[in-house]
Amino acid sequence: MNEERDSQLSAMFDGELPGAECELLARRLTRDEVLRSQWSRYSMIGAALRAERGVALHDRVAWRVQSAVAQEASYGDGTDIAATAARTAAVVPAELQGRANRRRWMRFARPMAGAGIAASVAALSIVWLRTQDPQQSLLAQAPVSESIVLTPEVNSTTVALNQTPASRPVSNGEPDRYVTPALNAQTSLAPTARLANYVVAHSEFSGPLSRRMALLGLVASENGEAAVAPEADGAAATEANDAP
Amino acid sequence: MRLDRLLAVRHRRARFAAISLLLGAGVVLGAEPKEWLERMNHALTTRNYVGVFTHVRGDRAETLRIIHRVRGNDVSERLLSLDGSGREFIREGDELTCYFPDKRTVLVERRSPDGPLLGALPSIGDDDSLVYEIRGGERERLLGRTTRVVALHPRDEYRYGYRLWIDEETSMPLKTQLCDQSGQVIEQILFSNIDLPGRIPDSMFKPQIDASTYRWLRAERQVASTATPALWEAMRLPPGFRMANRSAQSLPGSSEPVAHLVFTDGIASVSVFVEARKTDVPPEQGPARVGSSSAFSTMVDGHQVTAVGEVPPNTVQFIATQVKATRGLGLAPAPRSK
Repeated sequence: MNEERDSQLSAMFDGELPGAECELLARRLTRDEVLRSQWSRYSMIGAALRAERGVALHDRVAWRVQSAVAQEASYGDGTDIAATAARTAAVVPAELQGRANRRRWMRFARPMAGAGIAASVAALSIVWLRTQDPQQSLLAQAPVSESIVLTPEVNSTTVALNQTPASRPVSNGEPDRYVTPALNAQTSLAPTARLANYVVAHSEFSGPLSRRMALLGLVASENGEAAVAPEADGAAATEANDAP
Repeated sequence: MRLDRLLAVRHRRARFAAISLLLGAGVVLGAEPKEWLERMNHALTTRNYVGVFTHVRGDRAETLRIIHRVRGNDVSERLLSLDGSGREFIREGDELTCYFPDKRTVLVERRSPDGPLLGALPSIGDDDSLVYEIRGGERERLLGRTTRVVALHPRDEYRYGYRLWIDEETSMPLKTQLCDQSGQVIEQILFSNIDLPGRIPDSMFKPQIDASTYRWLRAERQVASTATPALWEAMRLPPGFRMANRSAQSLPGSSEPVAHLVFTDGIASVSVFVEARKTDVPPEQGPARVGSSSAFSTMVDGHQVTAVGEVPPNTVQFIATQVKATRGLGLAPAPRSK
């Protein structure tokens, strides 16, 4: 089977093949046993990638994934952000992995072509070291009912992420820049412990999304500085070094 | 002609088989954007999950892990920074512990027993469509998954919007963008991995740092109830906001109960904290920001009033400056904005 046919089949499986081509390929499927066999394999690969129950694999599918930070992101200061992508399917059977890689490569070959390397905020390497993380080892021992396997859209290369992939729909009107709300010059970026307390207390009354955003404001530090100045607001009155 | 008909039948069968496969995988077709939001909220509040995500704001990005466990009515959650500050929040039972290793400080917050159960499902009511436009629902591939893209677009400048990529199979949001009214992205969360384990051991809710030598700030154990007279109200509110809760609670670093008013438009919420001014502490006034949360502090009748919420700065300023001490019981519902 040539690569073009392979690509068409992959796109059809993903629902990305145009209708006319889909129909042609469907006709071929009805009379081409090899193609039908390939279709079945893709079904199994797809199920394996989704870690569906009942899919026979030699081992549990586990990936090291790299988070491709906002493909569309070109940030406030106009600086490009690059992300290093690294993915290893350590325990995926070689055949499945190879085919999955090829499908993915073919799907994203176009957006990757011509992509330049840019690095300003340094590469955001997220290596999912499940096997080296004791907590993840614990997790692995627990019965896992479901796993979402997220596949980075680039493959073992560094690309500028402000390039819009050719296959990406434009329907959602997603912007290509990030903004920070303008506040006046007196705005404090280093809230006191009191403010941190307020944010934490407030998060209890927020919806799941809002709560996460609120707490992230505290967990993620601003400009490399601490976001909390605990020396404020009469802490001495109630402070207690009562750590266990 | 006959061959064409045969092919058409086979094609329809193939399509039927494909649809059956999708349905078998738990995919529900034809759901409205609002239904996807409700499914997402349900998934976020009722499922166990362990995920790693990148949080992007402005020119900064940080990698974090979230661990969320639901056991009956008991919700535990741990959020920790994998790079940078090493901060983490661990919520177990009615206690939320915030570790700030970069400040060698730990805050311990206690949830008010009369507060909402953590993880309570927010309802997306019909009123919300007056202040938000809920749209989308189209399919989009993201990180190898099929997602539904749903946008909550604010109809005015008093709230932020969301754009969500909701996994079709699990209803988990794989990508979340917080946007302003013009659609500009303020903040983004992008998951790189999510597991949905059947159970999560207690050991995963232990801090990764030894904080025994840190300074610990704890909330007092006694927590005032809603029966405590609350004398504070907002005279006016931005469109769509209403009072959702009023209580008095203890906070770490504060020896006196703090009046806590909560206002919501169904999606966004703003808390107002009122406490008597301490003579040894200079008053705080003006705007502040904690991540995407805005805050505004002012002094009213000798009390420090601070509004906090994941809303634009002008919204917290609007609400904070409308809070007044009222006479009498003060438990009457706050006037609802028209």
